[in-house]
Amino acid sequence: MSTLEGLHVIGEANFSDHGANRLGASALMQGLADGYFVLPYTIGNYLAKAELKKIDADTPECKATVKEVEDKINKLINVNGTKTPSYFHRKLGKLMWDKVGMARNEAGLKHALEEIPKIREEFWKDVKISGTGAEYNISLEKASRVADFLEFAEIMAYDALDRDESAGAHFREEHQTPDGEAKRNDDDYRYVAAWEYKGVGQRPELHKEQLEFENVKLAVRSYK
Amino acid sequence: MLGFLKSSILSKFVVAITGLLMVGFIIGHTLGNLLIYAGPEAINTYAVGLKDIGGVVWAMRIVLIISLILHVIATINLVRHNRKVAGNYKVTNHKAATFSSKFMAYAGLTILFFVLYHLAHFTFGVVDANAFSMEATLDNGRVVHDVYSMVVLGFRNVIVSLFYIIAVVFLGFHLKHGIHSMFQSLGIHGKKFTPMIQKVAALVSFVIVISLISIPISIMLGIVGGQV
Amino acid sequence: MNLKLHIWRQKNNKANGAFEQYAVSDISEDMSFLEMLDVLNEDLIVEGKDPVAFDHDCREGICGACSMTINGNPHGPEKATTACQLHMRKFKDGQEVYIEPFRNKSFPVIRDLVVNRSALDRIIESGGYISVKTGSAPDANDIAVAKSKADVAMDAAACIGCGACVAACPNGAAMLFTSAKLKHLNVLPQGQAEKKKRTLAMVDQMDKEGFGSCTNHYECEAACPKSISVEFISEMNFEYAKARATAYRD
Repeated sequence: MSTLEGLHVIGEANFSDHGANRLGASALMQGLADGYFVLPYTIGNYLAKAELKKIDADTPECKATVKEVEDKINKLINVNGTKTPSYFHRKLGKLMWDKVGMARNEAGLKHALEEIPKIREEFWKDVKISGTGAEYNISLEKASRVADFLEFAEIMAYDALDRDESAGAHFREEHQTPDGEAKRNDDDYRYVAAWEYKGVGQRPELHKEQLEFENVKLAVRSYK
Repeated sequence: MLGFLKSSILSKFVVAITGLLMVGFIIGHTLGNLLIYAGPEAINTYAVGLKDIGGVVWAMRIVLIISLILHVIATINLVRHNRKVAGNYKVTNHKAATFSSKFMAYAGLTILFFVLYHLAHFTFGVVDANAFSMEATLDNGRVVHDVYSMVVLGFRNVIVSLFYIIAVVFLGFHLKHGIHSMFQSLGIHGKKFTPMIQKVAALVSFVIVISLISIPISIMLGIVGGQV
Repeated sequence: MNLKLHIWRQKNNKANGAFEQYAVSDISEDMSFLEMLDVLNEDLIVEGKDPVAFDHDCREGICGACSMTINGNPHGPEKATTACQLHMRKFKDGQEVYIEPFRNKSFPVIRDLVVNRSALDRIIESGGYISVKTGSAPDANDIAVAKSKADVAMDAAACIGCGACVAACPNGAAMLFTSAKLKHLNVLPQGQAEKKKRTLAMVDQMDKEGFGSCTNHYECEAACPKSISVEFISEMNFEYAKARATAYRD
């Protein structure tokens, strides 16, 4: 269970027995391992004991969430600009691919952190969505996703810039061995970074969860 | 008794089993009919022979009538439901369905009407009472119903023959799909068996159609029954 | 390349649908069919019109989300190919293309080409599982599975549940789907205990959903993007009849 009562995080989204990078095989192994060994002891146990009360739609929390979502939908539809959600998706995707890809560097990440807010601003000024929020609407769905991407992309860039070392699929070009392998800096970055969202356009706050190694020693992984 | 109609698969089973019985009948009937080529003596002896074993024939007739009724009820029920639920496309472009498979219901209905007419004609004699009441004397002196003359006179009528030929050709298409379908519906299948039975079904149907339509054609051409 | 599209447009399940004509131009022959629709949708959004709604997800032929009938063929003219993996090079420049949803009475249209296929989910829910005790995981290879059986189970499990078989069936039957799902579990040792119960439950649910019945046109097999064999239907027929015939014993 996560820190939220009833919210279980399992399988691919679990912590990381099989590496922090959710590559195909490690994600699959985590899913299998959790499905076989962890899930039967956790979710079933929780469901057997939990009091799953029906949630009333009239509670203030419920009402507030519904209103929040409706406001967001109305805001998106009322922009009524000239460019499609896919246009922004592609523009953001290209920037992320070029500057926040597997190999990234300080200059590129700083550039991305300048550009992402500009794309986001343009998005909220000029996105065009057909139809209304009261029907099955694929352009609204896509726009909602792109709006999320535009916030998340920024956090990814902040994190990549902050972690001034190379580790796994985070390859900072400044930190590599002479033969081009990732060079870690365990002294300064032996932690899991949890970024707290502080609102659109605000710098997220970094929380560090230190990694303690009691039984194994940190070593360089070599594929050679 | 008709509870199977509620289940798609059990309906298919009923259609397949009743179909199998009727295919058996058609093969026997075709073989019997071909005796017409052996002359009046042969077919009239055969016909009276069937009457003589009465009980068995009646049992078979009852089984066949029940089969026919169940076959028709089950298929009409399935077809009506299927037509209601199947997608109605602007463009249809079948990749695998054959003419026979798509023609099943129409062929079946035509055959049903034909069978009723055929029974009225040759079994109950309501179409042509004179021809039906003819008698023949066998070589052993026994006076029997003259099936030979009845058939010859019946098929000299072009309209009767044409209806017969059309119905038999439809029957051929019905059997071509039906015989192989029977096995698939009953769960008898295989990578080699299914293509084989499809070929066998086509061959059997073809032989039945040729055998049966040869009779009215021969009669109309005067090859058979010239002396009647 | 340029194409003339006739696309089924329907606002929702209650509304009447109709075909609308669209012209698309400068389509690359390397695009997938869905990407061609993406291009059309971009133009439609800019023009202030509603884009064509269609289901899609992985776009690599494994999720079973995409569902449209192209010129009378679910997933289009190519054998063993989903619409997302169908390339525009399979069409001729200037060709007229009719795009319709997967049609069946049990697949109500949600919008345009998007249909609700949850009837298939309910068939799975009724018996498409194996009950296991929770607790410690069984040892690997504790239950030996013969290679021949594993192969058949894999062939059946290749079904991605897209519903093309239903859409292609002139009778509107869901028998290829149901039989593949049944066979996948019924052939394995783990599936034996509940075989009879599963067969009865899933077939009865299939009938309850109102699907049609098989008359062996084999359009389903021809339309299936995973080439599931109609042999499974034959086997389901037998297994179901056997289960019904012996149901009195339970």
